[in-house]
Amino acid sequence: MIHQRLQSFLQKRHCTLLGVGPMSINCVDATIELANEHEVPILMIASRRQIDSEEFGGGYVNNWTTEDFARYVTDRDKKGKILLARDHGGPWQSTKEKDAQLGLRRAMDSAKSSYRADIAAGFQVLHIDPSVDIHGQPDVDEVLDRVFDLYEFCWTQAQQSKQEIIFEVGTEEQSGSTNSQEELDYTLNAIKKFCTQNKLPQPTFVVIQCGTRVMEMRNVGSFDSPVRVANEIPAEIQLPKMIEICNHHGIFMKEHNTDYLSDEGLQWHPRLGIHAANVAPEFGVAETKALVNVLESNGLSNHAERFLKISYDSNKWDKWMLENTRATDRDRSLIAGHYVFSMPEVKELKIEAGKELERKGIHLEEYLKQQVKQSILRYLRNFRLVRSS
Amino acid sequence: MKKVATIILNRNLPAVTERLHEHLTKYDGEQTDIYVVEAGSDIEKLSRYVTWHANSDEVLRNGLRYGRGMNFGLTQLLKEGKFDQYDAFFLLTNDTELKAGPTLAPLISILNDHPRVGILSPCSERWGERFLLKTENTKYFWFIHNNAYLLRREFIESICVKEQPDMMDFLFDGTNFRGYGSEHELIAKAYANDWAAAITSEVWASENESHLLDHADQIKTEGYEENLKLYVTEGRRWMRKKYGFNSHWSMQQYVKGFYDKFFEFHPEYSQFKI
Repeated sequence: MIHQRLQSFLQKRHCTLLGVGPMSINCVDATIELANEHEVPILMIASRRQIDSEEFGGGYVNNWTTEDFARYVTDRDKKGKILLARDHGGPWQSTKEKDAQLGLRRAMDSAKSSYRADIAAGFQVLHIDPSVDIHGQPDVDEVLDRVFDLYEFCWTQAQQSKQEIIFEVGTEEQSGSTNSQEELDYTLNAIKKFCTQNKLPQPTFVVIQCGTRVMEMRNVGSFDSPVRVANEIPAEIQLPKMIEICNHHGIFMKEHNTDYLSDEGLQWHPRLGIHAANVAPEFGVAETKALVNVLESNGLSNHAERFLKISYDSNKWDKWMLENTRATDRDRSLIAGHYVFSMPEVKELKIEAGKELERKGIHLEEYLKQQVKQSILRYLRNFRLVRSS
Repeated sequence: MKKVATIILNRNLPAVTERLHEHLTKYDGEQTDIYVVEAGSDIEKLSRYVTWHANSDEVLRNGLRYGRGMNFGLTQLLKEGKFDQYDAFFLLTNDTELKAGPTLAPLISILNDHPRVGILSPCSERWGERFLLKTENTKYFWFIHNNAYLLRREFIESICVKEQPDMMDFLFDGTNFRGYGSEHELIAKAYANDWAAAITSEVWASENESHLLDHADQIKTEGYEENLKLYVTEGRRWMRKKYGFNSHWSMQQYVKGFYDKFFEFHPEYSQFKI
């Protein structure tokens, strides 16, 4: 039913579906409100680092566990427009599994445990991504074996708890099994065969490398670039071919790392036939920038400085840096801001600042939510999910 | 009689141009005559292999860039009655780097084996397209960067401007000065006229961007970033004016339409479709 609903929606609207990373409470609220105001389905795509079950100590977003997060969303999503989605589930996708240097079996068991919690909490879209392996580089067939194991496990769990789920497969990472046309075709054929033999539903989405890559606060992939990106097939060639393969297999093509693309690039998504696209850090950065701006422009530069320092000290910006980066310390703080929203000192700082701002008639959290909404709306408009007025 | 005319476009980088010229002479000398277009170079920076020096005030000021430069070279050959003597034209900018060994002989052989290929480009080791050239070394594309085009004469003749050809108007549309979108246009014209555009990994060519990055002042062009900005802005304006397209994606779809049609009419080449 979920698959058919999405298919019918896509056919009627000629749109691209949006996946929003739950970067913060405000981002989650903004997404729910937009989906309900405009009556459009939005996928809320939680990575395991953002949201995970109690067993893994929750995630960095509001320290939510899977259960708490799902309850929070479903309680507020009055019209049932949000699709709770697990983004990049699978072994070693949790920092804890990496830090503990788990072996394959234990990492797979651990991933299953996380999926079990997802299904119990009512997640409807499960991304099966076992492409990460901290002990080596699995080949396509090894990745596929792991996909099959997790796929069957999740389906059985869902059947037992009478939950409806749909699947997303593939990954945009270079270690993935859907990077080249041959790999994509091979992978989809193998999955189709596996599903048919085991009487499992076919996956709904497949992640394709579309020439998008987020670094710092921009998209450095070939999709929007007027010049060639070394060692990448130009998006002009790659995209139509991958879409052709997806259409041939009757599977929706999902783009990851869509953040920061230009309006023009986004407007072409529905026309090119990209069925869905994920955006995450851009919304976190939008909120961080809004927070710093509102503090600085209302005589609360001290608070802004304190926040920027906490963010900088978290070092969470590190993985987003380009090799020859020219990013300033402030840029780094802006990149990492959403990772520290849930830290007690930041919460405290926001409460203090909020009180000051209230005196000026600014409701801090409401203001931040509105800024994130604007950022998400850019995608909803360009993807034809919301008509531009 | 040599089969190929190679045109090298230079501006104020004589050493780089001479290196390329000597490389071609060494490895491909039997296949090609080499012509050097000095695109508004300073008199003291002409390559010793200069064939023609475009030196009008405007060209001295702004250079020629790829489209106008190649039009200039090709129309000079026309004027001198040499154009018809060649089977193909190898268009190179001075920053092209070729592998030690013959480049043109393998390319000519591919042109012979692929009678509908009008545009042939060596692949670059930096291009992702090389991943698509594993089972077949040569495939037909709807998008190719104009790094080193080998163009079949009959193809050029089928699409070129015959009335008063000059640097502004012959093979390329010189009004698009820096050339953003020009490759799309040339390839669309090819497929629309029943010619294919191919990339091959039989030979390799790359573009050494360090010349533009490090010697922009010497080449008398804007710095890399500014040049890129102008390249895109001007190209988009050109695309909109000429085709009514507001995005390069429209242009891409336009080319892809002709590409797909080509294979409908030439199923015998389907193994070369990407």
